[in-house]
Amino acid sequence: MRRLGELETEIMDRLWRWQRPATVREIVDDINKHRPLAYTTVNTVAAILYNKGWLLRGKQGRAWVYAPVRTREQYSAALMEEALGASEDRPVALAHFVRQMSPEEVGALREALAAAERRDSR
Amino acid sequence: MNAAPLLLGYAGAVGFLAPRLLLRSAWPYRAPTLAVTSWLALSASFTVAVGLAVYQLASPTEHLHANLVDLLHSCGLTTDTAAPDPTAAARLAVALPAFVVLLVFGSFLFEVLSGRRTRSRHRKVLDLVGRRSPRLDATVLEHDHPAAYCLPGHRPRVVVSAGALRLLSPGQLDAVLAHERAHIAGRHHLALAAGTAFARVFGPLPLARHGRQQTAVLLEMIADDRALHRQPREVLAAAMYGMAAGAAPAGAFAVGGPTALVRLRRILAPQRRPHAVLRVSVAVAAVTVPLVPLLLGCVHVIG
Repeated sequence: MRRLGELETEIMDRLWRWQRPATVREIVDDINKHRPLAYTTVNTVAAILYNKGWLLRGKQGRAWVYAPVRTREQYSAALMEEALGASEDRPVALAHFVRQMSPEEVGALREALAAAERRDSR
Repeated sequence: MNAAPLLLGYAGAVGFLAPRLLLRSAWPYRAPTLAVTSWLALSASFTVAVGLAVYQLASPTEHLHANLVDLLHSCGLTTDTAAPDPTAAARLAVALPAFVVLLVFGSFLFEVLSGRRTRSRHRKVLDLVGRRSPRLDATVLEHDHPAAYCLPGHRPRVVVSAGALRLLSPGQLDAVLAHERAHIAGRHHLALAAGTAFARVFGPLPLARHGRQQTAVLLEMIADDRALHRQPREVLAAAMYGMAAGAAPAGAFAVGGPTALVRLRRILAPQRRPHAVLRVSVAVAAVTVPLVPLLLGCVHVIG
């Protein structure tokens, strides 16, 4: 059996890609193109995502229609801000590869690179 | 003879002089692993020395008046209590040094646990939002800002932005990923947590202030060295420059200090490891230094 997190990812992936609200039926049918999965399972996990605050939902006839609260890009931007954010005090990431720099510092970096190239070509 | 003045003198040397010495030396950037160990060993040594000094000062010996009370007098404080209750003094003598050591240790534990909590929260969102790339063995975030970072510890993740993927050549990307993986494999977050914890307890002390900052820089250098095992130095240097220059300065992200320049110069200049004799002596010193206060503490038993 696949982990709950993977199914959550599959549902969110589709809703983000389609960029429109969708019913559980539509999501199940699309997943079933690749592998069999019960309607009730998807229904349950979609409800979980709704309760976690990832999805909005509304009734359309007797079926729930789901839509992401925010776009993938918005969530990505929030994650990046948290990971690279100015908070030295409680960093989420250990450190990121290289911090953003002022134009002067970038200039000094370029200078150091150019000097190394000159040294190498000699 | 009481060892308190000796211990306090030693703590002063470790807390004020040793960091100055380390900062002036050239070898730490050439042997970063040894240097991180040295900073942490000095911090441990300082903690033990202060703890033992407090113990000596608070010890209910016949010299009590020569110790704690006199110290209070010399600090301009007067004590009305003529003869302290011996059992209370004995308890205090154990409780105070234990408090010093537990404060540092507890602070370390707090750093580790709170770091784990924030990372776990971040990872849950990341797993839903990012795309797993089995080829890179990393998570890709849909964002134009070129960036790479890692979530170390339990269920670690290496994260790269789509902007970084567009910017970097395959070799450069490999170097960046190797750098991030080195942080995870080396459990660098624990060394960083130790440095931060010590700095939280002994804030303005030069050893604490410089130790924390230097630990962070040195850990980056260790990761750089790991990346250099896989890619030539020009490639890693170009990746660093590209990532630093590729992003338009914007408010949301922290602006770095001169660390990147120091790292870049170090990558580009052919590295020579310090002489074996120096390396071995530093390693021996790093192992011994936390034990020195214990030896000093014994002086009053012998003397």
